[in-house]
Amino acid sequence: MAKQCCESKNHEEPTVDYARVTELVNNMLKPPGAGWYALFFTCVVAVIWGGSCFAKQIMEGLHVAGINHPIGWGVYITNFVFWVGIAHSGTLISAVLFLFRAKFRMPIYRLAEAMTVFAVLTAGLFPLIHVGRPWFAYWLLPYPNERALWPNFRSPLLWDVFAVSTYLTVSTTFFIVGLIPDIASVRDKAKSSFRKMLYTVTSLGWTGSNSQWKHYMSAYLFFAGLATPLVVSVHSVVSWDFAVGLVPGWHATIFPPYFVAGAIFSGVGMVLTLIIPLRKVFHLEEIITPFHFEGMVKLILLTSGIVSYAYATEFYVAWFSNNLFERFQFWFRPFGDFKLAFWGMFTCNCIIPLTLWFKKLRSNIAYLFIVSIFINIGMWLERFNIIFTSLAREFIPAAWGGYNFSWVEVGITVGAFGWFGMYMCLFIKFFPAVSITEIKELLPPPVRKKLPVGH
Amino acid sequence: MAGATQKFGLVSLESFVEFRSLKMRGNKIVVGVYPYMDDLLKTVEKVKEKGLDYRVYSPTARQEIEDATMPEKSPVRRFTLIGGITGCICGWSLAILCSLDWPMRVSSKDIVSIPGFFVIGYELTILFAALATFLGLLHYCRIPDLFRKIGYDPRFSDNKFGIAVGVEHAELDQVRKTLLDSGAEDVDVRDGL
Repeated sequence: MAKQCCESKNHEEPTVDYARVTELVNNMLKPPGAGWYALFFTCVVAVIWGGSCFAKQIMEGLHVAGINHPIGWGVYITNFVFWVGIAHSGTLISAVLFLFRAKFRMPIYRLAEAMTVFAVLTAGLFPLIHVGRPWFAYWLLPYPNERALWPNFRSPLLWDVFAVSTYLTVSTTFFIVGLIPDIASVRDKAKSSFRKMLYTVTSLGWTGSNSQWKHYMSAYLFFAGLATPLVVSVHSVVSWDFAVGLVPGWHATIFPPYFVAGAIFSGVGMVLTLIIPLRKVFHLEEIITPFHFEGMVKLILLTSGIVSYAYATEFYVAWFSNNLFERFQFWFRPFGDFKLAFWGMFTCNCIIPLTLWFKKLRSNIAYLFIVSIFINIGMWLERFNIIFTSLAREFIPAAWGGYNFSWVEVGITVGAFGWFGMYMCLFIKFFPAVSITEIKELLPPPVRKKLPVGH
Repeated sequence: MAGATQKFGLVSLESFVEFRSLKMRGNKIVVGVYPYMDDLLKTVEKVKEKGLDYRVYSPTARQEIEDATMPEKSPVRRFTLIGGITGCICGWSLAILCSLDWPMRVSSKDIVSIPGFFVIGYELTILFAALATFLGLLHYCRIPDLFRKIGYDPRFSDNKFGIAVGVEHAELDQVRKTLLDSGAEDVDVRDGL
């Protein structure tokens, strides 16, 4: 009779066996029900609405959006930074926490990686939408041309092209590599011929031999090591889109760590927004336990603290600088025309996460879901604050102005959420959204003779 | 790939083809299916003592299996290093040569602005290193290879461990008995490549 290798030190870690893990994840891939179809078609309708708004913008010009002097970067750039930020947390959970051997990442990192890839795909839409003439977007690339022109390699906007493209490629590769053994597992259980064919092709013939695992684990370690500096560098580069400029409120050296911490904060919030309903709908309580949520909450508290500190630093440095324009900017943010956005951001990002210090609240999964929604809202408002308020009150009053929000921008924003949701729905139904092999790695292997505790 | 010997198929086209061929010594393959990992590890020791070609399957990576079968480092790291160096050179070269080709003074910065070009070199270093690692993974794992699964059983991706041993016809019965005595719940004999 087999005995467990050793008893789990943390009784909230998964205690299922290998077969149960395979069964639970395969159950997620059963033909979808009415709920999935309703969600999927809602996302598709949102994409169609967003797409038609974009088509209107192409046909009539950028004037249908609210972008104008002085706020030349508006909703589209806010969305771009928001979605790139969301993507970072997925890489943190899958790569950085892998290097730290954090066990709480195991059941959630697959969904977080998927979130990364789809969020970067969503973010990549916005520079194309924002430039107004997306058919000239290839001008950003360094290709030989008859005008003898090259892009400006000293510009953060071009650094962004390289950074976000690299991030998309590396994240997608990391994602695919992680999926290979799990797809092999669902391939062997697939019943329909379509799924059998799909999984046979996408698993690349993986068999799980000793040599394959050896090289796989080595490659995975290198991917994690390469993705980790990307987490830091890509959002630092995005922050330099603002910090390299002279605009009061943007020209600050705190921007790279401020943005990176904020990105992880928003991404962890989005992971919770996705994983909590997924766990409920697919009955994954045996695999995703309160232990895993505890780890996520600690990440939220840490990054919320860093973001709050960054806000305080910005205000302090603006005052300490004795620079009239900088000081005015940081008076305008809490008391000017956009004060609702500022106080909304402050409440969602700094005050509400503080409630997670109370065990009774952070143990309540439904409350965690509500907090995650507030985090998402707060982080969108943060990007709104940074971009809109700084541009609305640049230097002298002759340069001041407002913004006319338009339905085109609202439609494209909603369409972007639909675009992201559409890909997530398809992923959850066609590929294993929870990592089968890594959860099995966490579990004690089936052995005939029990080994001492701690072996 | 043989558990006992290391061939990584990089030296010549011939060795590359042989590496990808998945061939095991012997004209028969005996496949054992194990419910317990420690039984499998004991079998691996016995098979190694006999000097036979073997391959071990498991539902997940296990350090115990790695220590017993392939304790040396994986050469995937070489791909990562070469890719990273290539990317670094390409990134810096791209930015520097393009700037020298069209030497436009921007914001009083140098034509060859080292701090400004750092990001381009850095990103391409990581990109090329990651793509090279992926290629190395495909090469050493010998994938994609959709249809040849020598010694594979679908139970190995679920909750069973396995060993496939390449044998000559004369050794067949002895190896079958060894696997059954070691705790295999199922033993199958298949034709080799």
